[in-house]
Amino acid sequence: MAAWLVRRLAASIAIVWAVVTLTFIIVHLAHGSPCGQPDGRPVSPEVCLDLTRRFGLDQPIWIQYVKYLTALLRGDLGESLALHRPVADALAEALPNTFTLALTALMLDFALGLALGIYQAARERRFGDIALGNAALFVNSMPTFWLGLVLLLVFGERLHWFPVGGPRDLVRCPRVDSLLCFGDFLWHLTLPALTLGLVGAAATARYQRAALLEVIRQDYVRTARAKGLPERRVLMVHALRNALLPLVTLFGLTFPFLLTGAVLVETVFAWPGMGRLAVTAILQRDYPIVTAASLVASVMVVLGNLLADALYGVADPRIRVRAS
Amino acid sequence: MATTRPSSRLTAAAALAGLLLVGACGRKGGCAGDYCGTLVIATAGEPDILLPPVSEFSSTREVTEQLFLKLADLGPSGNTIGDEDFQPLLAERWEWDTPTTLVFHLDPRARWQDGRRVTAADVAFTYDIYTDSLVSSPYRPSLRQISAVTTRDSLTVVFRFRQRYPEMFYDAVYHMRIMPSHLLREVPRSQWRSTAFGRAPVGDGPYRFVAWRAGESLELAADSTFFLGRPHIRRLIWRFTPDQQVAVTQLIAGDADAVEVLVTPDNRDRARADTQLAIYPYKGAAYGYLGFNLVAPGDTTKPHPLFGDRELRRALAMAVDRGNLLHNVFGDMAKVPPGPMSQLLWIWDPETRELPHDSARAARTLARLGWTDSDGDGIRDRDGHPLAFRLLVPTTSAVRRQYARLLQEQFRTMGIDVQLDEVDFSVFSERAHAGRFDALIAVWNTDPTPSSGIPQTWTRAGFGRSNYGRYENPVFERLADRAVTSVLSRDEARRTWRAAIETLNQDAPAVFLFATENVAAVHKRVADVRIRPDSWLALVRTWRIPADRLTDRDRVER
Repeated sequence: MAAWLVRRLAASIAIVWAVVTLTFIIVHLAHGSPCGQPDGRPVSPEVCLDLTRRFGLDQPIWIQYVKYLTALLRGDLGESLALHRPVADALAEALPNTFTLALTALMLDFALGLALGIYQAARERRFGDIALGNAALFVNSMPTFWLGLVLLLVFGERLHWFPVGGPRDLVRCPRVDSLLCFGDFLWHLTLPALTLGLVGAAATARYQRAALLEVIRQDYVRTARAKGLPERRVLMVHALRNALLPLVTLFGLTFPFLLTGAVLVETVFAWPGMGRLAVTAILQRDYPIVTAASLVASVMVVLGNLLADALYGVADPRIRVRAS
Repeated sequence: MATTRPSSRLTAAAALAGLLLVGACGRKGGCAGDYCGTLVIATAGEPDILLPPVSEFSSTREVTEQLFLKLADLGPSGNTIGDEDFQPLLAERWEWDTPTTLVFHLDPRARWQDGRRVTAADVAFTYDIYTDSLVSSPYRPSLRQISAVTTRDSLTVVFRFRQRYPEMFYDAVYHMRIMPSHLLREVPRSQWRSTAFGRAPVGDGPYRFVAWRAGESLELAADSTFFLGRPHIRRLIWRFTPDQQVAVTQLIAGDADAVEVLVTPDNRDRARADTQLAIYPYKGAAYGYLGFNLVAPGDTTKPHPLFGDRELRRALAMAVDRGNLLHNVFGDMAKVPPGPMSQLLWIWDPETRELPHDSARAARTLARLGWTDSDGDGIRDRDGHPLAFRLLVPTTSAVRRQYARLLQEQFRTMGIDVQLDEVDFSVFSERAHAGRFDALIAVWNTDPTPSSGIPQTWTRAGFGRSNYGRYENPVFERLADRAVTSVLSRDEARRTWRAAIETLNQDAPAVFLFATENVAAVHKRVADVRIRPDSWLALVRTWRIPADRLTDRDRVER
């Protein structure tokens, strides 16, 4: 088990290094310069030259890369070219917002997906199953940003049921320091989390339905029914436990997916998270932020995979035996 | 057990509903009277750092002008010549010792928000910072005519100029916001762009810094002791949005109270339809143009194979129906400019002579130059080469992309093939600076004076800078130089600028497409809204929310 863990960790570090390296090379080789000024005022060549020199952008790319890696090993992510502040500070402000959004969406995804999947499996090929299956397929095929825009226009702008952006009421609740402000935060979180969670829930429901249908045809389920157990108990106690195994793997993989999927949702809902930070950084050619955002995203994917493997081992003893 | 399940579900649902309700409702606050109120401003741009000498963003200027004062500021007329129309801020008065020596007397009531007095030493320190090559301020070139700034006593500061010219006073006061020397003197000059002060500044303006949540909001609170009068609106909050469309959506949804520009006629109509909003048109600072590269892309020693020819450029300019394009894109929210200028500039003169829209004359000129459709494919050609070029536009600008498509169609009807190069903004900017394009659609935001932007963009001084197409004409440069440097009255300056612009228009280095008319939207409960076109929030300290119009949100105490 220990050897397996060491192997996986080594592979994970290699993957993260490869992602960081590739990102570093791609963003530095991409056309464009951090001197661009979207508000239409001229940037003098002197200011641009100063920026280039200050951040060592005039040096050969391999020297920049070696310097970046050396600093990274010391835990230094560098300084943002556009924000004039350490990258670590910018990420530290943005990451909690993204994590909150992604975790809420994850819970919504699995709670809703699981419930729908069970409901559909229990009513296989009946009206409820078919209707929900088609609805899930429809939602699953929607682009996240489009769904976000629709929810925003209908429930935010038209009906005024929810705020149209941001994580809080800036006047009444600048900080989440009371029950009132926690409620306000949840209210602001609802639409972005729904957008992200609904699309995932549609996929999770399809997975869960298929897994449950496979299990309920097995002999031990038939035996449970033959013993006269109520159908609800057969389904929820005997069948569901085994049908949850594929979902455990999915759980580990979905979180990093949601984390990266949050990019568009954060943009639509003006959510101040890592995705929006990264998008702005890409447009401004803010290399240190872009590379750091890729680093965080790749670490999340790798950790998600590790978590999925670990959970699978916990849930299924056969996997543990093979690994050891 | 079975009987308790539904009730526990109900309890959970009620709790969630309660939380949501609590979120939707607000605490009743206690503020009453003339100095309450919060203005939430939705904006697409976020400041980079709250330090005026090193910041290049307009979103930064909007915030820092509430924190840091200038010595004096433009008056309502927007006149940048002489000193008559300027209004005192930090300086309570000024006089000219000699034609090139300007003496400011600071207002003794002015204080930094930590209680220290604003002194002449702060002004001298500020000049030193703005002109230090280590700080590399983007405003440094604008101060090149000032040779020295010295102190006479703690409240008197002396500006000396290298020569006499019409906008000496403007240069002395408009570019610099005075910085607190006692708080910034120790910051190494090379580290000004990352100093912690820039994220939590102490100023001398009508508002003081409260909080900045990156990517989300920035909050200022009124300084009740402000020496020029306590601001009426107690809190200003900027709410950052990914783009202007989201900002407008937040305004319509009631999550914000004001936006600087509505940008499109659609947005303006949406705002008009909202009974809670009032709209305020004001002159825009931006103009856009189709610019031709007069030299070969990537080789400045050779003329461009097409646009090196003045007659061809003139024919293309006459082929463009600018009024029609403008109507399609902006409706009535912009004007066709009479040259390279925004509506903000006082040299705007509709009588300025331009090339007319005359497609028949354009076609005749093209034919005379040998550009005819010899093979019947719909595209003119000469010596086997089609009349074709590529048009560079940034994907980040919906307006420019729309213009590009319309221009492509107008040129197609004239037998000219235009292919679009749509690239992201930083690539656009890089290619424009390097001259790697045939034609482009550029937009400039101008200062209130023609003296900085026009020479930078349309003379040899702008080569390698913002004169992307490398246009030069000695006659134009002489006239522009005369308008900038000779001591003239405003009328004389206007006449000289007009002659210069007419010279440029005849050369057709560009087709001037639009000059924006801005429309701001502000919640109707806000009274006394006055907007100065060069800086829409410059007068926000005089805006107010009458006591009988205060909402619960305005009264919230924290």
